[in-house]
Amino acid sequence: MRRSTAAAVGTLTGAALILGVRLSVQPPAAPDAAPAAQELTEEPAPAETSAAAKKPAAKESASADKKKESAKPTEDAGGLKAGTYKGKAVQNPYGTVQVTIKVSGGKVSSANATYPKTGFSATINPAAVTKLNQETLTAQSAKVDAVSGATFTSQSYVTSLQAALDAAGA
Amino acid sequence: MRHVEQVMGTVVSIELADDLPEPRLRELIDSACAWLHEVDARFSTYKEDSEVSRLQRREVDLADCSDDVRLVLERCADLWRETDGYFDAYAKGPLDPSGYVKGWSVEVASARLAAAGSTRHHLNAGGDIRMRGAAPDGKPWRVGIRHPWQADKLAWVLAVSEGAVATSGTYERGAHVWNPRTGAPATGLRSVTVVGPDLAVADAYATAALAMGEPGLAWLAKRVAEGYESAAVTEDGRAFTSPGLPVAP
Repeated sequence: MRRSTAAAVGTLTGAALILGVRLSVQPPAAPDAAPAAQELTEEPAPAETSAAAKKPAAKESASADKKKESAKPTEDAGGLKAGTYKGKAVQNPYGTVQVTIKVSGGKVSSANATYPKTGFSATINPAAVTKLNQETLTAQSAKVDAVSGATFTSQSYVTSLQAALDAAGA
Repeated sequence: MRHVEQVMGTVVSIELADDLPEPRLRELIDSACAWLHEVDARFSTYKEDSEVSRLQRREVDLADCSDDVRLVLERCADLWRETDGYFDAYAKGPLDPSGYVKGWSVEVASARLAAAGSTRHHLNAGGDIRMRGAAPDGKPWRVGIRHPWQADKLAWVLAVSEGAVATSGTYERGAHVWNPRTGAPATGLRSVTVVGPDLAVADAYATAALAMGEPGLAWLAKRVAEGYESAAVTEDGRAFTSPGLPVAP
């Protein structure tokens, strides 16, 4: 492992520890803090590099601290060797934290951290957060029994799809 | 049998798919409608003599209110905590539990229908739906989620046999959901749909996420563990779904 890569791993491990401890001692994150939790899921890094590009745009609004940390090593790197690097598993009072980074195109393309899932630690660390999947918004017509939408008034009901359904079914 | 009832400032569409004699189906629909009107009379903030209006004016104490009113206010307080304050019955100042009452009243109506022998039905109160059992074709109910920009199109079609689908959005009545932390209209999300076991909770969650704006997406992701799936569309047209959203095949 090259020194610059090791430095990157070290920095990320540090960052993950700070974030990890912060997550650990806090009650379930408030919505403002939620994007940070979203980034630190327990999911393994995606297998293909193209997956990184496809990530939901929401992730781009993720924790600013985290971004700073991952940007720094990339700047100094001047071409890191491609591959997946696992950081040293670090013990802290809440359990073991391990960071994995992926390098492609001479840059850190993704960073993930694992957190303890069992025992005492699991009661402190937030559960792995399921992410919402981003997809393309479609506009379709289909046969349905009911339509869910923002609440309409008695007046605007008349022009709604539900009104058309009711008229057809009556 | 289908029925459309104007109540609670909106329209409730009811469909019973049970194999029961027509007069019995008619009776069941009538009793469900009677309940919804009773709730409107007791909870409406637009009616001077409703229990909630009298409570607002401090003419009655909470202790003297009906069990239903106390239950609703307790649940509003629970949801205020569960949504980090984003579901707020006091968002506009005076007490207004309408955001919980509509879903709750339909939830109760559906439970009463089930207890009275209707195990296959759906009630759609202004876009928020509670359903049970199978649709008339014997399959799960097919629920369309309105496209947030094209009123005559659907963004998703779900298949649900048991449970609730609630949608909150800014496209129908403009920016009517407020961010209680800033006092400004909610921005960032155009439409939020929540699918889960209880309509009142699904409705409150959808409203809370809409009030949060884009951070609501991460908040919705955490509700999956509680059994509430979601679909949301941002103001700039990006669409997000939880992995377990019951999209129709």
